[in-house]
Amino acid sequence: MPEDKQTILLELENSVKNLQQEAAIEAAQKALAAGVSPVEAIEKGLAKGIREVGEKFARKEMFVVELIYAAEIMNGAIKVLEPELKKSKEKRSSLAQVVIGTVAGDIHDIGKNLVKIMLEAGGFEVHDIGKDAPTENFVSKAKEVSAGIVGASSLMTTTVSGQKDVVDALRRAGITAHCMVGGAAVTDTWAKEIGAVYASDAMTAAVTAKQLVEKRG
Amino acid sequence: MSRGVVRTRPFKILSSEDVDRIHSSSLDVLDQIGIKIYSVRALNILKDAGADVDMKAGVAKIPSYLVQDALDKCRRPVRLCGRNPKYDFTLDDDHVHLCTDGSGIGVLDLETGQRRDSTKKDVEDCARIADYLECLNMYYPLVTPLDVPKHSHVLHELDAAFNNCEKHVTSGTTYLREEAVFAVKMAQAVAGGEDELRKRPLLSAVACTSSPLVLGLTTDAAIEFARAGVPPIVMTMPLVGASSPVTLAGPITLGNAQVLALMTVLQLDTPGSPLIYSSVPMAMEPMTGLFAAAFPAATMVTLAHIQMSKHYKLPIFVGGWGSCSKIPDEQAAYEKSIMGYSMVLAGADINSGPGLLENYTILSYEQLMLDHEMYTMMLETLKGIDVSDETIAMKAIMNVGHEGHFLGQKHTVQHFKELWMPALSDPRPYQAWAKDGARTVVKAASEKVKEVLATHKVDPLPKPVQDDLTRIIKEGEGGIPR
Repeated sequence: MPEDKQTILLELENSVKNLQQEAAIEAAQKALAAGVSPVEAIEKGLAKGIREVGEKFARKEMFVVELIYAAEIMNGAIKVLEPELKKSKEKRSSLAQVVIGTVAGDIHDIGKNLVKIMLEAGGFEVHDIGKDAPTENFVSKAKEVSAGIVGASSLMTTTVSGQKDVVDALRRAGITAHCMVGGAAVTDTWAKEIGAVYASDAMTAAVTAKQLVEKRG
Repeated sequence: MSRGVVRTRPFKILSSEDVDRIHSSSLDVLDQIGIKIYSVRALNILKDAGADVDMKAGVAKIPSYLVQDALDKCRRPVRLCGRNPKYDFTLDDDHVHLCTDGSGIGVLDLETGQRRDSTKKDVEDCARIADYLECLNMYYPLVTPLDVPKHSHVLHELDAAFNNCEKHVTSGTTYLREEAVFAVKMAQAVAGGEDELRKRPLLSAVACTSSPLVLGLTTDAAIEFARAGVPPIVMTMPLVGASSPVTLAGPITLGNAQVLALMTVLQLDTPGSPLIYSSVPMAMEPMTGLFAAAFPAATMVTLAHIQMSKHYKLPIFVGGWGSCSKIPDEQAAYEKSIMGYSMVLAGADINSGPGLLENYTILSYEQLMLDHEMYTMMLETLKGIDVSDETIAMKAIMNVGHEGHFLGQKHTVQHFKELWMPALSDPRPYQAWAKDGARTVVKAASEKVKEVLATHKVDPLPKPVQDDLTRIIKEGEGGIPR
């Protein structure tokens, strides 16, 4: 007799919230066995957990390391659900599609990864094109997923011009997505100069991203 | 919180041959020219024990065997207690502790930043902050109140301290025997009686010797304290180049001899009583002849005295963290951190000095918070480095492999709370910091002080004890000479 759906959803949520990796995998397997839709398992289970962790992080009740670990746990559970998710016609709802990457020449991606987690926790679907990402990859991915936001990170002063390249290339390709930039070498002034929006850290990035898509309506 | 120094190798400034040489030179000083003593009681104690005492000149030449015997008799280890037993601690040579230091006569006002006279309210407020600060083990009133009758200021300091801090209390300003008598009565009232105080000393008291080679009236106070089981902190404060020779082995020897002399008097009078070695030297600024508590010469003499105390297996209370800066600024930060950290690395049992500026005379509430933050950083390094399978984290290294990061690893989640966390230091990038008001760390400290004063509650003393303290102060105001 499979467990009650509500119980399983709660287990998924709690496993992320309480940072229990093994419990998350188990709960995801249970969800599949019980015929819970993978989209529901994510949105009403795992994502609820990560949002709560994100809120606790914002209130300084949880630490950044715990937030990232919670995201890892969630991603681990999603991997279990993935085969079923691909078969399913249901789509995950999201605030917007976001393309994110570290610009060409720069291999520093911890900050970018933090932003990704915060955006996912905030309800965005994030497409990570990785580090040292060629400018054309930002453009092609943005086109492919109809991105609402494109985020480009640069830690080094020597690669920060890559952000301008990304913005220019997107505009040349007729893509009107919001551009967000961040990273240790970036300033608000620079962002304005290249026609992008600046966020100084992962928390700010999530808040700013929400404001951007809400403005657009 | 106290922290062990076992894992680290305490920093030593003297070789063991030098330690022996300082010791024998100190004995030579006491034996050959002796020490001038203003306490008739102490002169008689030494005379009765066989010292060569010139009662008229007030000078006692102390034979080395008396000093050696006295050293053997000191109680070890020394335990210091708080009125709340959870704050008790033992000076076991393996742990460092932190005390505030006194006694200033002025305050940089928390609201206006202006200098003003210190009041009893300052002693109370600092007591509550001391009660709050996790790594501070004991409270030495940072200032003396100038708004109470002058001759009973010691009793008012203790009243403010005992009522507002549950940790061990140190009196830094007791000078006369009569003051000590009433201070002891107050400590006994809080402890619940004479025997209780002896078992759990809630009070210790500084007894300062004078350089060169004088034991002043404070000797009588120290005798009273030792008899009551209140550990005297036997202090030397040589001024390098003025009240002691300018070459550092001189002040080290002279200061050490003075501590040994008072220690001998106390152990002859009350054998087996607990006491604490103490050193708070100052260094001369050669151009002007002015003195500074945190110049390198003062630090070095203190470091040597830490070694001497360890040689005698006595705990040591050091003044450190002195600064001649007038405000909580960059000078205060570098002087205090360099001096304070070297004392911690040398394994001083009790480190003192947070909160005061201008050579221990002016209280800055902000500085008190800043110094505590610095101290937590210093303590962190004393944890040393644990090298084991778990800490090398081979499994996590294998998991992450090339590139990637360790932030999402279970191992990281299990251990990240072992990292030091700031109470005041602001790690945010410029934009976030500027958006939040571009607060300097001094401003952050000021806000923290206000928050603590507004929210931190201290368990009050039982009403009858409060009344006892008030009554003893009243008696003291009649019994202490004006």
